[in-house]
Amino acid sequence: MNIFQLVWVNSFRKKTRFSLTCISVMIAFFLFSILAGINHALTSNVSSNNQLRLLTSHKISLARSLPINYQQKIAVIAGVESVSYASWFGGFFKDETNQLAVLAVDHNSYFEMFDEYYISKLQLEQWKKTRTGLVVGQAIANKYDWKVGDRVPLNSSIWMNREGSFTWPFTVAAIYQSADGASGEKQIFFQHSYFDKARAYARNTVSWLTPKVTEQADVDEVSQRIDKLFVNSNGATRTTTEQVFIKERVQQFVDMAMVIKLVVIAVFFTLLLIVCNTMVQSNRERLNESAMMKALGFSSLFLIAQVYLESFFILALGALFGCMFALLCLVWLSQLFANFLPGIAIDNSHYLSVALLVLTAATLCSLLPALTLNRLTISKTLGAKA
Amino acid sequence: MQNNNQKKVAIELININKSYQKGSNKVVVHDNFNLSIAKGEFVALMGPSGLGKSTLLNLIGGLDLPTSGSVIIDNQRIDTLSEGKLSTWRAENIGFVFQSHHLLPVLTAQGNVELPLLLTALNSKQRKQHASLALRLVGMEERAKHLPKELSGGQEQRVAIARAIVSDPKIILCDEPTGNLDRKTADEILTLLTTLNKYFGKTIVMVTHDLRASEYASRVINLEKYIHDSKQNQLSAVEVNS
Repeated sequence: MNIFQLVWVNSFRKKTRFSLTCISVMIAFFLFSILAGINHALTSNVSSNNQLRLLTSHKISLARSLPINYQQKIAVIAGVESVSYASWFGGFFKDETNQLAVLAVDHNSYFEMFDEYYISKLQLEQWKKTRTGLVVGQAIANKYDWKVGDRVPLNSSIWMNREGSFTWPFTVAAIYQSADGASGEKQIFFQHSYFDKARAYARNTVSWLTPKVTEQADVDEVSQRIDKLFVNSNGATRTTTEQVFIKERVQQFVDMAMVIKLVVIAVFFTLLLIVCNTMVQSNRERLNESAMMKALGFSSLFLIAQVYLESFFILALGALFGCMFALLCLVWLSQLFANFLPGIAIDNSHYLSVALLVLTAATLCSLLPALTLNRLTISKTLGAKA
Repeated sequence: MQNNNQKKVAIELININKSYQKGSNKVVVHDNFNLSIAKGEFVALMGPSGLGKSTLLNLIGGLDLPTSGSVIIDNQRIDTLSEGKLSTWRAENIGFVFQSHHLLPVLTAQGNVELPLLLTALNSKQRKQHASLALRLVGMEERAKHLPKELSGGQEQRVAIARAIVSDPKIILCDEPTGNLDRKTADEILTLLTTLNKYFGKTIVMVTHDLRASEYASRVINLEKYIHDSKQNQLSAVEVNS
């Protein structure tokens, strides 16, 4: 017999109430963990360690193109080391459900600038020589079982080619790996020169440019110089660091995640009240026993510790099962939405948040019973009157 | 009385005043009350309801504090102790037996008896041994694994007595221990208390309405008469002094 055995037997005193409360907690933590998993997918791969890369897009919208000759104009600005560019292809393979992140890029400069993609020199050279060549991420290649030399037709939901078709013929010329593992190997690249000549409209334009500044340059100053250069033209630009750009693009998703988060917080607080109510009710039912224990010499602190451990037990058990089910569910979701929303997973820091939440909730749930136990008058509670 | 005075005093209530507020009225339960109980005595406190018998028991056990006056147990004044110290003192010195035994329904007889030992330095094995011994003393060793709901009223009270004596307290306070029991079972419980008093030297204070129960005690205090006599003595003392 010890305090933990006491907590154990007291927890299972009302099995139905215990189970229902546990299930409520489990649902709360299940939702919380699922959200964390989706949030991880929305915010992963948005960080960039490269502080020197800028991104220049049309001032009004990313959907508007910029003239391709901006590359030369930006390249001569003081503080700019090199300039590359890319255009969004909006591709899918066979079926629209197989969405792919396909970019047409400047084959001469892009992979020199984006050195986080690991491609063998041989394959890179081969790709540069192959007009319709694709550079495919290892994860994508594995998924569709593509090998170098395979002919792969990709469809675009935006771009029609000169033949009047939205299906573009390609050949896999290179496969790249990423330091981020599978989550960083889900893009496909092809030559912008092929794209520009083969597309039916908007030739000599790019979606955005990526100037790289020298290490000595002031990033803000260079950005201002670039934008100033095109301020009075039809193609006015907005230049930011790559990090800011990515964060802005993701912002709309993050806001959505924030809304879901708020909903989950509301659910969580409702469930907190349920657990609080359970603990208050359970404590009230046992006031006589608590008074008896006090009479035997147990301190208020011991009784409060007992209530705290009971709250903790219910919450920890619910959280454990909630996280376990969420983990299983997220594995399934990550497979189901591998194309639309890659990176669904639970981050290790989430478990720390869960632990902190359990500890905080257990403390909050024990407050009212603790007050009652502290004020408990033994003689009155045991019905001993004068 | 002379015999009692020669013995060491176990419990001493000096000039106890106890009152409480009931709505807008102040109810005085004890007014300048004095009582002395010697070590090894088995005292039965009797009298009509409302005279403050249970209040006295609570004051002796440190479950309640007097409005004024001193409660001295084994030469230690307990009414000035902090709540924490009072809890520790109770655990070491007092065993309680109540009319409603207040056993924890989720624990077996063994578990209930072991409960007060959680406050001692005994290890798990020692606690089990002590609890088994206490249960053997009250004749309940064979029912050690039973839950309270599986025991009769008398058996539950025996377990409560085992719980009261398991930490070897000097004083056992019983509040109507036979109130809910039939005659035969009540006699068994009272015999058990007498054994604890005679053979183990426990000082027992028992509140009871049962005249038969009082026959087991070494001293019976009829509280109504005791209070009346005390006041007469006080008045006489005042008159003599003046």
